[in-house]
Amino acid sequence: MSAQREERIERDVLAALGRPGPLWILGFLTSALFFGGGLALWGYQVFRGLGVAGINHPVSWGVYIANFVFWVGIAHSGTLISAVLFLFRARFRSSFNRAAEAMTLFALMTAGLFPLIHLGRVWVFYYLLPYPNERQLWVNFRSPLIWDVFAVTTYMIVSAVFFYVGLLPDLAVARRRLTGIAQKIFRVLSLGWRGTQRQWRHYGKLYLFLAAFATPLVASVHSIVSWDFAISIVPGWHTTIFAPYFVAGAILSGTAMVITLVAPMRSILKLEEYITPSHFEAIAKILLLTSLIVSYAYIAETALAFYGHNAAEAGQFRYRMLGDYRVFFWTMILCNSVLPLSLFVKKLRRNIRYLFVLSLFVNVGMWLERFVLIVTSLSHEYEPYSWGSYSPSFVEIGITLGSFGLFFSLYLLFLKTLPVLSITELKEHQP
Amino acid sequence: MSRILRFASKEDFLATLRKQIESDREQILDILMPYPLPEAQQLMKVTSSRLKFFAFTGAVTGFASGLLFTSYTVLSWPLIIGGKPLISIPPFLIIAYILTILFGSLACFVGFLWLARLPELPRLVRDEEPMEDGRFAIVLKGESP
Repeated sequence: MSAQREERIERDVLAALGRPGPLWILGFLTSALFFGGGLALWGYQVFRGLGVAGINHPVSWGVYIANFVFWVGIAHSGTLISAVLFLFRARFRSSFNRAAEAMTLFALMTAGLFPLIHLGRVWVFYYLLPYPNERQLWVNFRSPLIWDVFAVTTYMIVSAVFFYVGLLPDLAVARRRLTGIAQKIFRVLSLGWRGTQRQWRHYGKLYLFLAAFATPLVASVHSIVSWDFAISIVPGWHTTIFAPYFVAGAILSGTAMVITLVAPMRSILKLEEYITPSHFEAIAKILLLTSLIVSYAYIAETALAFYGHNAAEAGQFRYRMLGDYRVFFWTMILCNSVLPLSLFVKKLRRNIRYLFVLSLFVNVGMWLERFVLIVTSLSHEYEPYSWGSYSPSFVEIGITLGSFGLFFSLYLLFLKTLPVLSITELKEHQP
Repeated sequence: MSRILRFASKEDFLATLRKQIESDREQILDILMPYPLPEAQQLMKVTSSRLKFFAFTGAVTGFASGLLFTSYTVLSWPLIIGGKPLISIPPFLIIAYILTILFGSLACFVGFLWLARLPELPRLVRDEEPMEDGRFAIVLKGESP
């Protein structure tokens, strides 16, 4: 009985690697089109200079940095689901972990582009790398921007290793079941894995250690990203609450993105048996929890701004709520704090269509949070004579849409090239 | 020379493995499993993995190199920036912390490949017996009947 069930798990999961259907082709072409458009606009910006972007004095950080923070945040939920929930032995993770790990990797790839795009002169990106320049001066290790380079690069490498290690036994299954060129590729990728006693013994420890190493990254990477802001003295940024606030926001946005990706994947690839409403309910609880933490942070930072009697800080928060960007601010509150409260209703937590729609709202809300945080603070600093406003140019909007195109293209390619669920874990946890 | 006993269920596999261990443990060359079974590992009296030494060595190396590297860079051309001391421990600890995780993870992965004898180069080109076929199996000494 169990052999038949195991056979079916292999067949069902690997069926996704078959010929792409019209929905996949349509999705991929659309994403690739957006990506291509974004790439062309980046080329235009490189050719014409950074002046084609809307960033200028006083708002010198715009949607490029908002995109960077957004995509790094999206990555976090993947590590939470794959590493943290593994350490807590949460079994529902096996329905999401592969998709979430892939999402982490693709989100980091997308995020990594934005500091380069924001540089303008992308060909001098190597200034960020730790090497002695012609005067034998090194990068400034006291700068949060350099911490960022180290943190995001490390996160990317560790996530890639973790993703690959999780895939290893499944690659061997694909090697056995597929034929032709696919088999040859999987044979190399699976490194000759056989599932011997020796291999499993060390594999179990490796997975545990990697999860243990990746878990602190969930907290530290977005904390370090938050210090890009908090270390400065800009009103609205200079606050100690930023690290936990960013981490909670990152997990909220990442969890929403997991739902956005997995809900359609489940029905298109016919994986309803393996990704059940109970699994979605568990993820919805994480979304609700992190939404409450983020809402608490919104209240705390606003209350502190007014309670502190710092005119610039209070003015900044008044501007956020009532100024030029108030529509974005209140939309952000609606999407991140109000709508997720509906998840207190069990019926809605188990309704996958509702969760999908809600996740789209949270994605929008979390992007707006980054935008509001960055733009309002810079446009309304200390001196009224230096106040100004910012609106993104068509180049910035196009590149932002292109980043979504890149992310979804990579994810759709993943669906057709690698096992989307952990076959080994599904077998291991079968009743 | 070896022969392989394959099993459709883990219960049959564990029962046969237990019997084989009780009767003649020396005959067992290896066991193949599609997913890890703690019961089988216990029966085989598997010793603890040495991977922890790789993890520890990698992590310590990462932490030390993070602190030494950042200190070296500021001492190689002493230049006060922002009135901060040359060797500023708090920011340098962040780099050390990140490199602890990076080196620890990479050392673990390399250690795993070393200990698990991967990649098995001949298998990258073609499959050889005993080939795992998704079932539990016991590889025994002796020829197939």
